[in-house]
Amino acid sequence: MGDPKEITTIQATTILISTIIGVGVLPLPLFAVRAGETSAPFVTLTGIFLAALGLFILAYLGMRHPQKTIITYSQDIIGKWLGRIFSIFVICFFLVLTSLAAREFGAVVVTGVLRETPLEVTVIVMLLLASISCRNNINVFSYIHNFYVPMILAPVLIVVAFSLKNANPLYLRPVFLGNDLRGMAAGMLTVSALFQGSFIITMIIPSMKSPNKALKASFWGILISGGLYLLIVIATVAIFGPEEIKQIFWPTLELARTTAVPGNILQRLDIIFLAVWVLAVFTTLFSSYYFTIHSLKELFQLKDHKMLSYFIMPFVFFLAMLPQNILHMYEIIQYIGRAGLLITIMYPAFLLIIDFLRSWRRKKNVAKPT
Amino acid sequence: MSLFRKKKRNVKKPQLLTPSKALEKKGDTPTSISLMVKIKEVKELLGNNEDLQIKEFKIFGQYPAASVCLSSLINQDVLNQDILKPLMYVPEHLKGKEKPLNELVHLIVTETVYHSQAKVAEGKEQLIELMLRGESVIFIDGIKDSIHIDTRKIEKRSIAQPETEQVILGPREGFIESISTNIALLRYRLPTPDFQVKTMKIGRLTKSTVAICYLKGIANETVVKEVEKRLSEINIDAILDVGYLEQFIEDNPFSPFPQTQSTERPDKTVANLIEGRVAILVDGSPFSLLVPVVFNQFYQTTEDYSSRFLMGSFVRLARILALVFSLVFPSLYVSLISFNPELLPTEFAVAVAGGRAGVPYPAVIEVLIIEVSMEILREATVRLPKQVGGALSIVGVLVIGQAAVEAGLSSPITVVVIALTTIGSFATPTYTAAFALRMLRFPIMILAGIFGLYGVMVGVIFIFNHMLSLKSFGVPYMAPVSPEDSQGMKDVVIRSPLWWMPKRPEFLRPSNQNRLGLNDNKVLEHNKVGNDQREDAANGGSKGDHNYSSDNDLN
Amino acid sequence: MWQNQRELKVAISLLFLIPLLSGCWDSQEIEQRANVLALGVDKASEEERKKEDEISHLGKRIPIPDEEMIKVTAQIAVPGRIPLGPQQPGGSEKPVLVVEVVGHTLEDAMLNLQQEVADEIFLGHLRIIVLSEEIARHGTARFNDFLRRNPEIRRTAALVVSKESAAKYMNLDPELERIPSLYLADMVDNLSAIGKFPPSFIGLFWTIYSSKGQDPYLPYLTVIEKTTIQLNGLAYFHGDKMVGKTNPLEIGIFMAVRGVGRGGYGAFIQVPGKDESVLVRAVSRKTRTKVTLRNGKPHVSVKIQYESEIDEKESASIELSDSAILKKIETESSKSTKKAIEKLIAKTQKSKSDIFGFGEHFRAKLPHYWNRNVKTKEKWDEIYPEITFDVTVDSHIHRVGMKSK
Repeated sequence: MGDPKEITTIQATTILISTIIGVGVLPLPLFAVRAGETSAPFVTLTGIFLAALGLFILAYLGMRHPQKTIITYSQDIIGKWLGRIFSIFVICFFLVLTSLAAREFGAVVVTGVLRETPLEVTVIVMLLLASISCRNNINVFSYIHNFYVPMILAPVLIVVAFSLKNANPLYLRPVFLGNDLRGMAAGMLTVSALFQGSFIITMIIPSMKSPNKALKASFWGILISGGLYLLIVIATVAIFGPEEIKQIFWPTLELARTTAVPGNILQRLDIIFLAVWVLAVFTTLFSSYYFTIHSLKELFQLKDHKMLSYFIMPFVFFLAMLPQNILHMYEIIQYIGRAGLLITIMYPAFLLIIDFLRSWRRKKNVAKPT
Repeated sequence: MSLFRKKKRNVKKPQLLTPSKALEKKGDTPTSISLMVKIKEVKELLGNNEDLQIKEFKIFGQYPAASVCLSSLINQDVLNQDILKPLMYVPEHLKGKEKPLNELVHLIVTETVYHSQAKVAEGKEQLIELMLRGESVIFIDGIKDSIHIDTRKIEKRSIAQPETEQVILGPREGFIESISTNIALLRYRLPTPDFQVKTMKIGRLTKSTVAICYLKGIANETVVKEVEKRLSEINIDAILDVGYLEQFIEDNPFSPFPQTQSTERPDKTVANLIEGRVAILVDGSPFSLLVPVVFNQFYQTTEDYSSRFLMGSFVRLARILALVFSLVFPSLYVSLISFNPELLPTEFAVAVAGGRAGVPYPAVIEVLIIEVSMEILREATVRLPKQVGGALSIVGVLVIGQAAVEAGLSSPITVVVIALTTIGSFATPTYTAAFALRMLRFPIMILAGIFGLYGVMVGVIFIFNHMLSLKSFGVPYMAPVSPEDSQGMKDVVIRSPLWWMPKRPEFLRPSNQNRLGLNDNKVLEHNKVGNDQREDAANGGSKGDHNYSSDNDLN
Repeated sequence: MWQNQRELKVAISLLFLIPLLSGCWDSQEIEQRANVLALGVDKASEEERKKEDEISHLGKRIPIPDEEMIKVTAQIAVPGRIPLGPQQPGGSEKPVLVVEVVGHTLEDAMLNLQQEVADEIFLGHLRIIVLSEEIARHGTARFNDFLRRNPEIRRTAALVVSKESAAKYMNLDPELERIPSLYLADMVDNLSAIGKFPPSFIGLFWTIYSSKGQDPYLPYLTVIEKTTIQLNGLAYFHGDKMVGKTNPLEIGIFMAVRGVGRGGYGAFIQVPGKDESVLVRAVSRKTRTKVTLRNGKPHVSVKIQYESEIDEKESASIELSDSAILKKIETESSKSTKKAIEKLIAKTQKSKSDIFGFGEHFRAKLPHYWNRNVKTKEKWDEIYPEITFDVTVDSHIHRVGMKSK
């Protein structure tokens, strides 16, 4: 790679936070409430735990191979060809993830804000922004995330804080509604699918200053982003109640709409919220796009990724335009999200187990001759 | 036939033989021994000049010699009194002694001439060049060597308050064009042997002296070497100003953002040198160039540091706000009016609609037209002579604002918005950075006109990403915000009290990190007045006595 | 690759820029929008129904019967007639435009409206929607769908029920404000700030309507003497149909049971032993609701604590000079409030309208009972008339004003 290893622990944490907080923040309460009604916060919490587990596995795996990304060390662990095949799966998955995120973004913008603008234009502009920014090296990548995180976190927290004035704690009870356990489990999977962006930690660890602190960075990353998601779910459920949320596509947006800055200076805060949300989506898209390109570069051992970033864009755009309408799109997102959990959690767990077995066997072999 | 076929004209233009070309061709040849030949060669190259002054005389009444110089550059008094006079009259201690030819030069230089800068040289090109710089050359018949003495005197303006950077609290000295005065201004502020000044000459025709100043032990060696390397790679006719150098050594010349900072103030230069930067000075330019820079320098002034920390922080916050305003305010206005009027309170929205009712074109066009006229007005006021300028600018603004509104060419709110934006852009102290933001306002306005608030966000993200990827001599442009640096952060938005910033910011990777001394600063302890202070004295006195004082040091 | 990579880049970027030339799709100048500030919905009368043109359907083949056609009156702000600065005296022109259309549903009516208005209709500043009582009694659910799907509509808009026809409200001309509908909207918005009504905006209406254990309520307005609007009570709903209204003082009592902190209503309390009364005004309230099951049947206990002040006494023969008499007034006021509350609850029980939200308390605190016996909103509305309740009111008179006697 040749780039100096300069990513600090704080930068790694902020990369995780801004990657995770993205398009999913808008429909999140809807998914949670569909699964668990008033126990939506509980469902969210379990989803966060599952995602945290996956992330810790990845971080631990990365710490055992601090110089390599998952593309290269998977080849070490399970053999060259098998590793390559799985890596191609991973790359395809992230390509699809990028396109779905871009499409969801376009759908929100075209429905809520710019109603006459064609969907293609909004999607292309965002993809163009991401692909142009991807031409830089990984240090600039982390600078960008580091810079935008406070701008993303602060307005969301402020909106949530102001909105609690209208909260009705009755809507949050009972906390654990044991009606539909299967539905709740499905909801848990959907929620943890929102955290899949954290897979990029495999790309970050080789460029970190102190890779052994990756676990600490992932812990804080999940804590902050998961905490924010939980807060949003609690706030929306408390203010709207689970029944009302089932009727709204983007409850978080409605939350911002209902909130007014005291003194009624600005009335429709959702426009400002959307502006900040554009930032969050950009960082998420940027991450997954960069991961795709970086991994492609490693898989095929290319020299640099600048041309690649332009090259991939038409594919992503094409995939983003595939879903027919917004309902179709959400079905695909749920399906692919859950399938993706196999790739982001099962596959690393599988790698870790095999890695353990190999090193245990190696230790045994070393111990023998003595 | 010849109409349709283009003949390639390969006629070579004859090359004019300019004196400099002649000098370049030959390399450094030694001068001949004969005086006549020497004078003839000089007249060949410089003879057409009115100010070439050749005075033939006899040294000690014996040896024929000639003094050659360009009279416009020299101090005639020095030439006459300190050089010609002692040479023509035999000095007391040499009367009656033997003055052989081969020892003559040594005798003259060490015992006769009343000048500290007398030196010996023999190459013809070198001597011509020295003459062009204001030195007087003494040719002696029969000796190869010649003596050259620095008699330079050029009219320069006096040190005055810098015009582009005015402050209320702080020193009022500014650099002038002469590089030796500028270096003097720096040196008296840094009486330490670590302050190093290296010079080089750049520019084929101007051969300008370029000085690289830094503090050894604080500035990072790699940066200094990089600066030298980039400067040595410049190959151009003329360096008339520091700006020329800037364009050659910048990391990314296509970026709208400046990656160096130029300043007219010596105190600002010294402050930056102490932080670990390198200053570049050019003879003939009253600006010094500072590298490497980060973005948050562009809204800081020396006044921030000379004032108390609350005052400095408050003013800095106002400046940051003005900076943000000058970038996005018109675009926000356009997106609110054309795309999302539901953000405005209802009564206001309806009233604004009333204000815009007569205007025949969309808000974007209106804003663009007024912005462009503001830019033209601004440029015009800079070029106007002072007497006409003041009145005309007031009239211009009033006319544009009031009359345009009444003619129905714009709505009153647009004028207010643009006026605030323009005023905001003046608040940014660094001219080059303010200009960058002024320029970037236009693309964002166009994006806002197409996409509304979403367009503004996309434009802002684009600009930020670009800034985050810039580097100035290896230092990331957005440090200390982006690669975060807790010491540097104390100076970004607010200006922390000086005693809270004990280390230099890390992004410059200085070799020596400590600003304040290791003992606790006793600043806040001065708050104890009266009884407490006496008590302190009884317990052994204050421990910090870092600044020695003595009676006879007024320098 | 191509010989000149830079040319390729330039060509691609030009290609990308071309779609931008086609224009700014969403840009619409603020003075070119027809800002609809208020809407009024009435039932369409016979002749009005005939006026409908074939704008959203051909012929008479849609399943919605003609008798349910609505008449929508919109108040649109006219740009240019409303000045930015202080108002010039002598503005004789009305700054708003009132347009009337009929339609089968709300969106249908909006489409018809657009046919009649030059600029594109913009609902982003819609502050208040007035429903006539007729329409409210018929059912409000048909409007909710349109209002929810449209992203321009704010959730903080106000929804009110009016005694007279809603069109009358749109044509009002109150002298206090330049734009009539803004006066109306401000008045409704300030109702909760002053303490005259619990917080109510359309978003809350929807939330309560969706929730399983509560029925919604809306302010009930009436016009007195041509231009004055009065808050005449609270309209309570069963599901989405209005079933009754309270009188104004009962709003205060309702707020007490709901636990709205800010007080605003005063009542005449008879001083025991005498024939005189004093006016006691509530300043703040604190409520605690407990739900239990008694013999398997739901029971609600409400405990309310009032903090009041005496604003006026009717005649000089009463002396408010010692705390004993204040105590007496307190007990008397508690008694009468308790009676009023019980009356109100019974009234709503008769109409099967649980505006107090007791059902929500049951659902939240006794989930087993809820899941076994109730589960749906309809079932709760059946059970509601049967529940038992007890009310305890505790008033404290903290202040008597500046007069010492």
